[in-house]
Amino acid sequence: MLSVKGLRANVGENEILTGLDLEVGPGEVHAIMGPNGSGKSTFAHVLSGREGYEVTSGSVQFDGHDLLELEPEERARLGLFLAFQYPVELPGVNNTYFLKAALNAIRKSRGESELDAVSFMRLMKERLKVLHLDDSLLKRPVNFGFSGGEKKRNEIFQMAMLEPRLAILDETDSGLDIDALRIVADGVNALRDPARSMIVVTHYQRLLDYIEPDHVHVLARGRIIRSGGKELALELEERGYGWIDEVAA
Amino acid sequence: MTPGKGAQGQGSPAALFQDWLPAAGRSTGQSLPWLAAQRVQARARVRELGVPSPKSEGWRYSSLSPLLEQGFRAVGEASGEAGSALDPGALQTLLIPELRSHRVVLVNGRFDAALSALGTLPRGVRIGGLRDSLARDPDALEGLLTSVAGDGSHVFTAINTASLDDGVVLLMERGALLEEPLEVIHVALPASADARGHELAPPVAHPRLLFSLGDGAQAEIIERYVGPGGGPSCTNAVVEIALGRGALLRHRRIQDEHADGFHLSGVYLSQGADSRYEGINIGLGGRWARTDLVMRFTGEHAECDLRGLYLAGDRQLLDYHLDVHHGLPHCASRENFKGILFGKGRAVFDGLVYVAPDAQKTDAAMSNRNLILSPNAEVDTKPQLEIYADDVKCSHGTTVGQIEPEMLFYLRSRGISAGLARRMLCLGFAGEIIDGLGPAALREHVTEQVGARLEQAPL
Repeated sequence: MLSVKGLRANVGENEILTGLDLEVGPGEVHAIMGPNGSGKSTFAHVLSGREGYEVTSGSVQFDGHDLLELEPEERARLGLFLAFQYPVELPGVNNTYFLKAALNAIRKSRGESELDAVSFMRLMKERLKVLHLDDSLLKRPVNFGFSGGEKKRNEIFQMAMLEPRLAILDETDSGLDIDALRIVADGVNALRDPARSMIVVTHYQRLLDYIEPDHVHVLARGRIIRSGGKELALELEERGYGWIDEVAA
Repeated sequence: MTPGKGAQGQGSPAALFQDWLPAAGRSTGQSLPWLAAQRVQARARVRELGVPSPKSEGWRYSSLSPLLEQGFRAVGEASGEAGSALDPGALQTLLIPELRSHRVVLVNGRFDAALSALGTLPRGVRIGGLRDSLARDPDALEGLLTSVAGDGSHVFTAINTASLDDGVVLLMERGALLEEPLEVIHVALPASADARGHELAPPVAHPRLLFSLGDGAQAEIIERYVGPGGGPSCTNAVVEIALGRGALLRHRRIQDEHADGFHLSGVYLSQGADSRYEGINIGLGGRWARTDLVMRFTGEHAECDLRGLYLAGDRQLLDYHLDVHHGLPHCASRENFKGILFGKGRAVFDGLVYVAPDAQKTDAAMSNRNLILSPNAEVDTKPQLEIYADDVKCSHGTTVGQIEPEMLFYLRSRGISAGLARRMLCLGFAGEIIDGLGPAALREHVTEQVGARLEQAPL
C-alpha cells in the first residue's frame, strides 16, 4: 500500500531524513519510535504534503501513485489522513461545515454523490459517540477553544468520518492523561480494518499498550535503524534511546 | 452642461461643488425660516471649506480625484425634474425575499411612496419621507433636523445640508417599540437622457435620514445601499441619530453599490444616558466609498458598539473614519472593524477615540484587523486613542496579516481544495462581524454576498 524508498528531505540547509525505507501493507499497523529530533514528525509531514520540506531524493508510492507529486488535498482524497500532533484552531470555521466540505470533497473525487444532510448528521452522531465527544462540538469552530484532549479526540473523530486508507498518527498520545489516552486508543482500534493501514508515530511506548502494532521501527538521524515486532517497543522502554547514538553513528 | 464639466472645473474647486448643489430657492420647506437659514449657512460653509486638500489629515489616504473626475451634478437640476424612476420589477431584484420589514425606498435620494411598503406601524412610531414630513408637520422636526450633524467640518455633510430636500424620518415616542426592522433601501441610478435623447451628467443624491428614539424606545434599522449599475452614480447620505435615555438602536448598514457606484455617508450619533447603540457597517461594493461615523455621548452610562467588515477588491477603495468622543464619565465604546483585501483593493481605517479630561471611568476598546490576500492590495490603518482623563480603561490594536499557512494546510490535508479552504478561512474571519447581524435573512444574504465576492477574488 505504501512504499517509501531512500527518502531524503531537507528543512532549509539541514538534512532531516537521510534515506528512509518503509513498506506498509494493507491492514498493518506500524509504530515509528525514536528520540526527539530523529525526524519522526518530518516524515509524517512529508507524507502528508506540508510545505517547508524539500525532498532531495527517494520515492514514495501510495496505491500506485507517486505521492510526492500530489497536492495535500489530492493525497487526502486518495485516502491519506494525518492526525496532527498540534491540531490547528480555525476560528469562525464551523466544525460541521468543515467536516461536510471535507467528506464531500473526498466522496466527489471517488465519483460518489454528496451525502444528504440527514445521512451526514446521522453519521456524525454515531461517530461522536465512539470518541465520547459531545454533540455541542459540532456547532463550535474547529478546535477553537478546545482542551488538549478534545483536540486529539477531534482528530480521531475526523478520521472516523473520513475513513482513510492510511492514517498517520503524529504523537497522538502527547499531552493526554490516561483516561483521554484510552478513549483515543479505543477510537483508533475501532477503526482497525483489513483494508486500512496505520503509521503510529510516538516517542513513548505507552500508546502501544493500547494500540498494538504489527511492526515497530526505530528512527534515528533520519532513517530506520532497526525494525521488529511489538517486543521491540518494550525493549526501547527498558533501554531508553541512549544506545541508539552508537548504532546510528 | 456636459458630463465633462466637473473634470474641467478642477481648477476652481468652489465652482466644482456648485454642480453638486441645487439651484438656491428650489428646495422643499423653503417657507420654513429655520430650515432656510440652515441651508444658507451650509452653503456658505461649502464655499469656505472647498475641496479637501489631499494633505489634510482626514483625506491623506483617499484621493478625491476619482470622485471629482466623474462630473456629478445634483439630482433634478440637470434634468429639471425629479430624476430617474425605478420600475417595480427592477426593485424586486434588489430585495431580500425572506426579510420582513417596514420598507422605505429612496431612488436617488428621493422617497418613493409607490415602492415603499411601510405596513402597519406600532403606536408611537412615525416613519415617512422627509419631504412629506416637512410639509405635514414641520414643527416635529424643528430643533431635531440638522441638530445632531451640525455644521461640522465635513464639506460633504455641508453639501448635504445645503441640498437638504428629501430622505427618511423615523420618530419614536418614549417607550415605543418597533418589532420588525425599518429597512431603508437607497437605490442609486446612473445618468438618464433628456427629452432629446442626450445623456445627462451622472447624478449625485443627497438623502438626509433622521432617526429619533425617545426615552426607552427600541428599534432595529437596516440601511442598504444598492443600484442596478449601468454607469456612474453617487450617493452622499447624512444620517442623524438621536437616542433618548435608555433607548436601544440596532443599526445595520450594508453598502453594496454596483461597480461604478460612488458613496459618501456621514453617520452622526447622539446618545443619551443609559442608551445603547449597536452599529454594524458592511462594505462590499462600490468603486469609491467613504463612511464617517461621528458619535457623542450626551448622558452617562451609555454604550456604543461599532462594528464593521469591508471587502475591497480590484478598482475599489473603501474608507472608514471613526470619531468617537467620550465627553462624559461612565460611558463605554467598542470599535471592532475587520477587512479583507484582494486584487488591487484598497481600504482605509482611521479611528479616533477621544477621552476628555472629565470622562473618568471611560471604557473603550478599538480593534482593526485586516486579511490581505494579494501582494497588490493595500490598507492604511490608523487607530488612535487620545486620553485626557486618568481613570480609564482603554485599549487599541491593529493587525495586517495573511492567511496562516498552518490553517490552510490543515484544511487541505482533509481533502478540501486550496481555493475553498481560503474562502472558508476568510468567511471564518468575517464571521465574527456577520454573526452579529440580525435578522437571519439579512445575515444569510450578507454571508452569500461575501462568499460570492470571495469567489471572484483571485485567490
